[in-house]
Amino acid sequence: MNLWKLEWIRLVRTRRVIGIVGVYVFFGLLGPLTARYMEQIVENFGGGVEIVIPEPVAADGITSYVANAAQIGLLVSVGVAAAALAFDAKPQMGIFLRTRVASVRDIIVPRYVVVTAAVVVSFILGSIAALYESVVLLGSLPIGGWLLGTLLGCLYLIFAIAVVAAVTGKSQSVLFTVMISVGIMLALPIIGAAPVVAEWLPSHLVGAADGLVRDGSLADYLPATVVTVGSTVAALWLAVYWAEQREL
Amino acid sequence: MIKTLGLSKEYGATVALNSVDFNVRQGSVYGLVGPNGAGKTTLLGILAGLRKATGGSMEVASLKMGVLPDTPLFDPWLTAREVVDLSLAITTGNHDEARVSEMLEQTGIAEDAARPVGGFSRGMLQRLGLAATLVARPELVLLDEPCSALDPLGRREVLDLIARLRGGATVVFSSHILADVQEVCDTVGILRHGELVFEGPLDNLLVGRAQPKYVIRLRPPMQPVIDQLEGLDWVQDVTVVDPELIRVTGASLEIVETNLVAALAAAGAHVVSMAPEAPSLEDVFLEVVR
Repeated sequence: MNLWKLEWIRLVRTRRVIGIVGVYVFFGLLGPLTARYMEQIVENFGGGVEIVIPEPVAADGITSYVANAAQIGLLVSVGVAAAALAFDAKPQMGIFLRTRVASVRDIIVPRYVVVTAAVVVSFILGSIAALYESVVLLGSLPIGGWLLGTLLGCLYLIFAIAVVAAVTGKSQSVLFTVMISVGIMLALPIIGAAPVVAEWLPSHLVGAADGLVRDGSLADYLPATVVTVGSTVAALWLAVYWAEQREL
Repeated sequence: MIKTLGLSKEYGATVALNSVDFNVRQGSVYGLVGPNGAGKTTLLGILAGLRKATGGSMEVASLKMGVLPDTPLFDPWLTAREVVDLSLAITTGNHDEARVSEMLEQTGIAEDAARPVGGFSRGMLQRLGLAATLVARPELVLLDEPCSALDPLGRREVLDLIARLRGGATVVFSSHILADVQEVCDTVGILRHGELVFEGPLDNLLVGRAQPKYVIRLRPPMQPVIDQLEGLDWVQDVTVVDPELIRVTGASLEIVETNLVAALAAAGAHVVSMAPEAPSLEDVFLEVVR
């Protein structure tokens, strides 16, 4: 047993890994399906009102997946990450770990890496599912753009979990950590409503998978990529610094 | 092993520790006692590096430390063996199945080693906490109320375990159960309102506070003896403890030692036994903290 294995066991025995993989794969399969049959769905629930929906294209399947992944998938990921990273939520458990390691970094790094890896792999699995179903139901997609967009989506998730880690440095409560982290994630697109800053914000990467399978280019996402990498490093540094400052 | 000088801790306007000079000899078992809110947990927290002092200085000779909080908790989906194994691995970087088994055995939870700890009682968690604390053979052991949730048998086993550490490890042991402190500790520190009001060997604490009281076992009838003793001007009180036992309190220890035997003889008492009443740690503790 070690702190890395502990985190893997946490994901498996608490069945959180099923939750994360399940939510992304579910929306990966559901997204293209709803895009393909949106007209029929609307007809069934439209109550006789005629609604004209453009003919779906393959990119719509990815758009639908990204929209759900960025909301429900992110919410589940933040919850799972908060439960793992808020190791002082029960001070007795915090004491057990803190009095046995040389630095709190030794506690935070395995928790961050294992949870982030689980979230990223789940997002990729969901994205593969969305790609497969989009191609089958709606037509071909540019694989290069899809791959790049998916990687940028992963970078956003890596940033999001780092934000959760930083928040746990200031908040011992799991619930409070989830609320603050989700609040930050929601605030970013609101700030991004100002066109001058939009392309610099990490939240800009959420739409990369969608944008790059349409007519977007990598250059559109470079500023946000640079800011996201820098913000992730800063958030992780803050997570360790604040956790070191905390008294139990 | 541990030496603090003027150690202080304030939480806003509340003074939790006020200029504490705390000395723990290497290899000793140090009992830290005090009423609720006296600062015991704060002091242990600072020694463990979990809290920061707001004043004073501290020297701790060993970083190989084991800490047990008063109500230990672990991830409920881990088994007892995994908890102890994890503790050993993250403290030393080593795995030693035999050592893990030995600690589970010594703390009486070997039979439950494969069970998830989520179903453990508080007493079992306390035993598990002790196993996880001692498995890495720490040189300094900080125990916060280690017997508070244990049944009499568990208490006995844990006290024996702590007593066996003497000489090998240095133990600082906070407790409300003064009989436990009296049994296993060689040095006592009494905290009151954040101040260390006594520190020293247990014997010094008790001997220096001997009371001018004698406990005398008599054959009946006792009443004539009691009446005669109560008539003496140096006798302050005569209490009947049970039908054949009385406690005589005199003005001073010297007066009682000089006059009591003669007074009993004069009263025609049939004395079975008599002995000075030894003060318990509880008596002294109450006297010191009041």
